[in-house]
Amino acid sequence: MSDVLTLVFRTFMSESCLKKDPGVGLPSPAPCTTLMVGEHRVCRSLLLLAAVSAASEWGVRVVFFAQTQIQSLPVFLQRCSPSLSPESLKKITFSYPRTLEELLQQVASLHESPAPPSLLIVDRMEGFLRGTAGASHGGFQSGEQSRAAHLSALLCDTAAFLTRALERRGSSSAPCRVIASFPSEGDGKDSSPADPILDVLDRYFQVRCTLDPDRSYEAAAAAAQEVWHIYLSGRGLTEASGEDGPPVTQEWKLFAFPDGLMEFKLI
Amino acid sequence: MRSLLPAVAEQLFQDIQKTYQETSQIPDDLLIALKFVFGSCALQALDLVDQRSVTCLTSPSGRKAFQVMGGSGHLYTCFLSCHYCPCPAFAYSVLRRNQDLLCKHILAVYLCQAMAATQQESVSDQQMSTLLSPTGTP
Repeated sequence: MSDVLTLVFRTFMSESCLKKDPGVGLPSPAPCTTLMVGEHRVCRSLLLLAAVSAASEWGVRVVFFAQTQIQSLPVFLQRCSPSLSPESLKKITFSYPRTLEELLQQVASLHESPAPPSLLIVDRMEGFLRGTAGASHGGFQSGEQSRAAHLSALLCDTAAFLTRALERRGSSSAPCRVIASFPSEGDGKDSSPADPILDVLDRYFQVRCTLDPDRSYEAAAAAAQEVWHIYLSGRGLTEASGEDGPPVTQEWKLFAFPDGLMEFKLI
Repeated sequence: MRSLLPAVAEQLFQDIQKTYQETSQIPDDLLIALKFVFGSCALQALDLVDQRSVTCLTSPSGRKAFQVMGGSGHLYTCFLSCHYCPCPAFAYSVLRRNQDLLCKHILAVYLCQAMAATQQESVSDQQMSTLLSPTGTP
């Protein structure tokens, strides 16, 4: 089983890797909720890549929630996405709720939409959750964990409803998937593994996509500006491998080049 | 709700459903098992079931949600497909302390489903949106 992100990585693999693993196609029918944890700039690029790929390559409707406006698409997308067109971009609805309450209201009302989306993306959940009025300083209170649970559960329940709606219409775009990012570094916040908000989010998201910067000399060797390790893990991958299967993880590398291009390599 | 519970809990609800369909009551052994698996909230949840406190809300779009009248008179909106309740016990015992699997409200939803004791109510799509978002929770 491959979720949306894995298919995105495969679509933009380097040519040498493509020969070894040419399995590119539509996402598998298993429902999937993915939490992306890593540095915000890279997470946002990957989220945009997922949105544009889903809309242009697979023709599905996408709703992209973010607090800060997206001024333009990354150079990489403009140059490397062959199906990118104004018509395909119209399948993406960008929404900019300012607060957690606005985000919850917009997600809660998606069932009123005449055209169900197949992919829900939330950029920087942390910004919505930690920007709530009354948030405490230094440490999390159960109120913040409850809000994280509410948002996550609402996303999952909405995706489940939209999946049924798409299936009733006989749409090949089912199921509806959710990808959310939770920046862990570069924001001056503690990225301890014991983050209580992340513990709550892990209850609801089936797959964790972790991005770690590569601090070796591989970037220089590949003439890349940055190299990132991408780890996919979680019960969503384990379930797909079979109930009795061993825990499944996937590991990729992302090479970001000075000219804005990006390449993925399966490890 | 999709399977989010340990297999023993899933089996317990199936046994309760089967037995209740046949006898219209829950035998002592299943009640003991319920308390063993879910702890003190088991009896509180059964009280909620007896009081017909669980309502399944449906809107024209087909969206559903459960609403549970708590002992204090508060209405709690719970989801169909995953565990969440805005009550303090869920926030503390389930999320923060990881002590309990469920709060009594979510457990009451499972029990009402098993015992076919859920009330039904229709709401508009806009009302459903309000109930699912924070303005609809206590």
